[in-house]
Amino acid sequence: MVATVALALLGVTAVLVVHRLVRGPHALDRIVAVEILVTTVVAGAAVAVAVWDYTSAVLVLLVLALLGFIGSVTAARLAEEREDMR
Amino acid sequence: MSPADEQAHGTASTPGARGGPPRRTSRQWPLALWLWVLWIVLWGSVSPVVLVGGAVVALLVVVLFPLPSIARRARLHPLWLLLLPAHLLVGLVGSAVAVALEAVRRGPRVRAAVLEVPLRSESDLMIAATANMASLTPGTLVLEIDRDRRRLYVHALPARDAREVDRRRGEVATAERWVVRTIGPAEMRKDPNRRERGYGGEGERR
Amino acid sequence: MNGLVQTALEAATAVLLLCGAVFCLLGGVGLVRFPDTVTRLQAAAKAQNLGLLLILIGAALRVPLPYAGLLLLIAVFQLITVPVLGQIVGRIAYRTGAVERHTLTVDELAERLAPPDAPDAGESGGGRGRGT
Repeated sequence: MVATVALALLGVTAVLVVHRLVRGPHALDRIVAVEILVTTVVAGAAVAVAVWDYTSAVLVLLVLALLGFIGSVTAARLAEEREDMR
Repeated sequence: MSPADEQAHGTASTPGARGGPPRRTSRQWPLALWLWVLWIVLWGSVSPVVLVGGAVVALLVVVLFPLPSIARRARLHPLWLLLLPAHLLVGLVGSAVAVALEAVRRGPRVRAAVLEVPLRSESDLMIAATANMASLTPGTLVLEIDRDRRRLYVHALPARDAREVDRRRGEVATAERWVVRTIGPAEMRKDPNRRERGYGGEGERR
Repeated sequence: MNGLVQTALEAATAVLLLCGAVFCLLGGVGLVRFPDTVTRLQAAAKAQNLGLLLILIGAALRVPLPYAGLLLLIAVFQLITVPVLGQIVGRIAYRTGAVERHTLTVDELAERLAPPDAPDAGESGGGRGRGT
């Protein structure tokens, strides 16, 4: 019950985030949206860990959270360079 | 401008001290300890092999890849460090509720502000920690860090009038106070108006 | 007695998971409704971040200790990385004009960056920390 409600809320969040990802308009908006999408996935998987004891997923979550951060920083830097060249 | 800024006018700090202190392995024990704890948490057990292996690896990393010391005069205060998570949680809940309310009630018509906040800190570690705290606890997000003039430029979210702007400024000052309490040098902890000195930096005023 | 603790932990987990999911959703609402990049970033750094933290703490209460440590480690990393990302993206957003100036009641950074005759007001500030 708790899991269903929490996952439903996170699902709605993901839809909202994808909406922003498609709309943009700035590249940075999309980078922020991707970062939040990763966080939402981590949150959803953490709910699954808590409710259904998917403990083996925890290490994957750790890696995913760190990779999401590194990826977003890299993309933001790239966006900055593209702006500079204009 | 806060009174702290007024008082410290004309600070002539020693130049060139920022370059590089000697790399002393003995100063790196907090890093080694952190690496050791990280190793244990990642392995998820406290068997002797993990404990000893982690200690050996942490020491090897610290000895083979020494980092320049960034915390020469930082003093860790364990009591405030223990209180910090509670403060972070309370501050984070408060700011999250404020931002969420703003998103639901105003949405596109939100009023924000970009503020200049003078800092008392001077060292890289203190400024970085303050910027991190200021982005987490109150309704502010650090946009720009002016290292030489000791200024943070923050984006403050619910900021419709002068009163709210002043409150956001106060929140950044609170964030810095917490950093000083937790890792600040002794002279800054005693005197709430004292600025950190002796790291180089221009100390000029606008 | 043990059963009571168990029930209390499960109740706490349920509350934390639900509150966390609600804050994630509010962060998503902010991401859609806010007018410019930096305000959206605020929604991400505050509401969404808190939502994930609550869910991670809630999950950590339920699982065996080694996994709880890992979940709390994710929370600590999140607390460190979110402000860093916020500062990097926010800085670039402000400088590339992704901030809607009309939403700002006060803008003191514009005064700082604007005058070209000021000695060190330009992009050249070498000592400007970026957290990287």
